[in-house]
Amino acid sequence: MAKVDPVFAALADPTRRHLLETLARSERASATALAGQLPISRQAVAKHLTALRKADLVGSDRVGRETLYSLRPEPLREVSKWIETVGAEWDERLAKLRWSLGSGPGSQ
Amino acid sequence: MSGVEWKLERVEREAVLDAPPEEVWESLTDDERLGEWLAEEAEIDAVEGGELRVREAGGGERRGIVETVVEGERLSFTWARPGEAPSLVDFTIEAVPAGTRLRVIETSAGGPSAMAGAWSARVGALRRALLLLPV
Repeated sequence: MAKVDPVFAALADPTRRHLLETLARSERASATALAGQLPISRQAVAKHLTALRKADLVGSDRVGRETLYSLRPEPLREVSKWIETVGAEWDERLAKLRWSLGSGPGSQ
Repeated sequence: MSGVEWKLERVEREAVLDAPPEEVWESLTDDERLGEWLAEEAEIDAVEGGELRVREAGGGERRGIVETVVEGERLSFTWARPGEAPSLVDFTIEAVPAGTRLRVIETSAGGPSAMAGAWSARVGALRRALLLLPV
């Protein structure tokens, strides 16, 4: 059975997407600060942040007694680049296919 | 292919084509027809486990293995350029009033977490099976 990709799993949850958006706006934030913005506990936020770290979407630094989290945009950039390139390739192929079916033998 | 982690990178396209399903199937499984749209040149052995070889406009090559064949309905194969992560390409054909709906989904086995542990070994094995350059 194919396993679910950690990045995909990370992005599938709306709370995690919200956390990523928040981190995209701020440079670094603690789990406590992030929890302050959401109607869920600090522990729940910490769990989500762990999932995001596993997917390499979030990095963390210990600053004094706190752990501060920051967004790692590289994984998402790679993904959207691939999607754009491959999407364009298929658009072109399907256009050619449509054309080849329209002008091949048996066409009207 | 079970056990390979298919990644977030996924593209889906659909086209309704003005041709009967049998003709669209021919376009997917006949070397010459494939060469009119999929790539510059293509060779496919359209049976499960069959080989696929494609030459692209830029001169690049992709090689792959046919995974699923349901005559007239479904064709899927993996393919990859030498040294790159493979993707899975999955075609479905469906008769519709206007002709044929062709749906294609390409999913990449590559991605941000591509090098994680056991998965990397599977990709390595797949690449060697496809006779691509070693990683």
